[in-house]
Amino acid sequence: MNMTRFQHLIPAGIIFVLSAIVTWLSFTEEPAESFLFPRAISVFFIALAAWNLVRAASGLSRVGEGMSSSVMKNVFPGLLVMIVFVFWAAKGLGFYLASSLSFLAIYSLYDPAPWSSPKAWIKRVMITAAFMAVVYGLFTLVLQVRTPRGLFF
Amino acid sequence: MGDANPSGEQAGMEFLHYFGGVFEPVALLLLLGGTIGGLILGATPGLSPTMAVALLIPFTFHLSATQGLILLGAAYTSTVAGGAVSAILLNIPGAPANIATALDGNEMARKGQGARALQLSFLASGVGGVIGVLLLIFLTPVLAQWALKFGPSHLFWIAILGVTVIGSLDSKSFVKGLLSGCIGLWLSMIGYDEILGTERFIFTDALTGGIHIIPALIGLFAIPQVMEMFSKGRSTANVNAISVPKYSLSQSIKELLDSIRSLSIGTVVGSVIGLIPGVGGQISGLVAYDQARKFSPMREKFGTGHAEGIIAAESANNAMVGPSLIPLLTLSIPGSPTAAVLLGGLLIHGIFPGSDIFDKHPQVVWTFINSMLIGQILMVIFGIYTAAWAARIAKAPAPIMAAGVLVLAVFGSYSVQQSMGDVHIMLVLGIGMFLLEKFGFSAAPLVLGLILGPLAGDYFTNGSMIAAAQNGPWVYFFTGGLNILLISLVSLSIGYSFWNNMLQKRDPVPEKAGQEPGQ
Amino acid sequence: MRKLVTVAALSVAITAFGVSASLAGDYPERPIGVAVSYGAGGATDFQARIVTMVAGNADMLGQPIYILNKPGAGGRKGWNWFATEAEADGYTMSAYNVPHFIAQGIKGGVKYNADSFEPIANWGADPAVVIVGKDSQFNSMADLVDFAKANPGKTTTSGAGLFVGHHIAALQIEKACACKIAYIPTKGGGAAAMKAVIAGEVMAGINNLSDAFRAREAGNIKIIGIADLERNTEFLPDVPTLKEAGFDVDNSSVNFRGLMVPKGTPQAIIDKLAAQVPLMFNHKRVIKRMKAGGSPLKVMDRASVLAMWAERKSALSELLKGL
Repeated sequence: MNMTRFQHLIPAGIIFVLSAIVTWLSFTEEPAESFLFPRAISVFFIALAAWNLVRAASGLSRVGEGMSSSVMKNVFPGLLVMIVFVFWAAKGLGFYLASSLSFLAIYSLYDPAPWSSPKAWIKRVMITAAFMAVVYGLFTLVLQVRTPRGLFF
Repeated sequence: MGDANPSGEQAGMEFLHYFGGVFEPVALLLLLGGTIGGLILGATPGLSPTMAVALLIPFTFHLSATQGLILLGAAYTSTVAGGAVSAILLNIPGAPANIATALDGNEMARKGQGARALQLSFLASGVGGVIGVLLLIFLTPVLAQWALKFGPSHLFWIAILGVTVIGSLDSKSFVKGLLSGCIGLWLSMIGYDEILGTERFIFTDALTGGIHIIPALIGLFAIPQVMEMFSKGRSTANVNAISVPKYSLSQSIKELLDSIRSLSIGTVVGSVIGLIPGVGGQISGLVAYDQARKFSPMREKFGTGHAEGIIAAESANNAMVGPSLIPLLTLSIPGSPTAAVLLGGLLIHGIFPGSDIFDKHPQVVWTFINSMLIGQILMVIFGIYTAAWAARIAKAPAPIMAAGVLVLAVFGSYSVQQSMGDVHIMLVLGIGMFLLEKFGFSAAPLVLGLILGPLAGDYFTNGSMIAAAQNGPWVYFFTGGLNILLISLVSLSIGYSFWNNMLQKRDPVPEKAGQEPGQ
Repeated sequence: MRKLVTVAALSVAITAFGVSASLAGDYPERPIGVAVSYGAGGATDFQARIVTMVAGNADMLGQPIYILNKPGAGGRKGWNWFATEAEADGYTMSAYNVPHFIAQGIKGGVKYNADSFEPIANWGADPAVVIVGKDSQFNSMADLVDFAKANPGKTTTSGAGLFVGHHIAALQIEKACACKIAYIPTKGGGAAAMKAVIAGEVMAGINNLSDAFRAREAGNIKIIGIADLERNTEFLPDVPTLKEAGFDVDNSSVNFRGLMVPKGTPQAIIDKLAAQVPLMFNHKRVIKRMKAGGSPLKVMDRASVLAMWAERKSALSELLKGL
């Protein structure tokens, strides 16, 4: 239980630091006219962040279940795929290839069907292809969105 | 128009003479095409009604003025409603107008009642939409002048009124709701100051362009949902993330009629907000949702897949469509970005909006308005058909759903400005939101802050500049009937939030106690 | 798998070779994007859609042009993106607004200036006009300036933003009358600035000729001066120029709109576009639509635009020096 209280302290602390930075910048950056509204907001921001920090420290922060180790373990592979997809593959491999691979990767990673079954793999590839065809039709053919081509398609 | 027809009723009934134009074969075909196309474009993540209507402008070059406007009007009507489809089924609001729909609509769909959510949403859209167009038909001369009364100080107070909703939008924690709102307000200020052109809070080059609302919206709603599905792991129970079994239409209609209070609140809020130039429909759904909850006896059910929430939100954002054209048609003032695009559609055919537009081009304008009326009804029919159709195919298991929503989120946020930076921002915000949600923060107040920040901030700057040249900010922002009325509403709203918060503390709802980790 | 990679690598090589070999000849092979730094529905967006509508015709570019809106902060967001991120391959063009981007470049805080881009051709020129509400006490520039002289800094005057054509006109008027007005950049561009005048939120406004003409037709405003060298005989023959009214204001604030590409675009592509695009702007359907919308058309070729940019740059540097 103390674990949850400790966990709640982390986001509360980060948000408080963020609010302090925002407040400091709002009151020091030039030109002042541009920062009048940010100043007003930052005062509320830092006050609420401080209040939230106190509540977290005293264990009053009651909502939110926090992060369990099983959640972290389950989320990690998918998160990794997302980050690689968005920050590298989309431009490096090209939008459509990266999207297809990411779709297939996430689908396969979280699909309860066994990884050794060829039948399951055929299904996965087919669904990926069908989905990407719909996306291609909608975004490239209808909306004429020009996606980064990258190395491949 | 008022001068030409002294009797208001006579003037009002004029529109009946122009229904013939709507039912000509080409016109009807365009109306059908516009409606169906609009539903599809509206349901596409990242494609806002404004962009959808702008995409259709080139087609109108080849059409007559009347035909072109029928196409644009039908598309406008149905893209606004179509946004509800992705909000409900994917938890990706197609446009800011559909955020509130996602709150209850997606919850309902996850409970296996996707068809019910879609039907309710289209029915409510239809009712709100028809009433909005009727306002446009009957009350244009009266309301046009009223729309002009809102200057920067009033718009500032309206934005602040929206900000006061933040505290009550999150039912879980008052402090965290407000704090989420503050984070949203701060995020909205990143980038160039819209009016003064100075840079604010640009820590890295990636943020120079600021945070565009639509990629942010997609990230904040869709990514946490994707990660939530990840967190269940390779669950062996093959649960459908969403299923849309058939739901009796008559049951939906009955529910709609039972929720007449929410329907009225949604329609009134949507019409009023739609009428005010410069606010746009972005906040109408959320404000209506909040009001409907405040007046509902089943307040605590909002956010858990409650019908009233969907009804209030969707009736509001379609009720806005008709009134938003009032300042456009009679004063040539486009009240919303979409109305601005429609203005272009009028101009290329040499039709200049103005108080005499109904006398000069009655055929074009009335056919256009009538087609929106018919368009609303077609939209409901096709929308409900969509729901039935979705019932057959949308039974995606969680892994497919997660992968699909991710890919759509990436394509959707890229397509807004064809910018990779937007996709990066989308993902970063989404991952951050997932973590924040785990600790009791919510996306809805954060998004509301993100939308209202520029409104409040820019109208504040704008008003201050005018005030500085006149009698000073005190007089400018705090005197005059409309300012005082709005300030009273702001105070009432804040007072209500605090009062309600006190009540809840004294008498905690048992349902919420269950979510709390042991202390 | 290995075979696949080989095939893919080969096809990439062929494509790459194809692109470099056919740069001038086959260009354009796919649709061309035009980034507009203002929102959908604004005057620039609306006109850009009209003037590019015949691009797909076989005798024009042979490929359609699509519009990409990147609005924000008076155009700064869109042009920043164009200067730093757009590929210089001829498939991404941008609409320019002079004097806006040149003035912003001189003022600083942005990643572009007049030398960051290569003009292709100009399609329109929209002079700034001075407007007042229909019931305003002012009936001429003299009335307005007399008031401004008696009440320095109190004449609230709306315009589309800071360091755009409207603002330049306001600065020139201030300089010419040796008086101080309160220029109010509005949120929401020209349309919102117009609304501020109609609703009486401000005492006067500076706006585009095309929008002001329509607002006057609708009976909402009076137009008391035009910031150009000559009267506009087509739309506003009765409105005097500011020069006629006795103020030394030239045409520096006229809003020129046209197409440009990023610096570094291959010369062959620039030449091809510079030859074709003016023909496209002069297409009879374009002329008809522009006229119907009340948008003044002014087609200029690349050489004249280059000269115009250079001239504006030196004039604006002079004007903005003290600010």
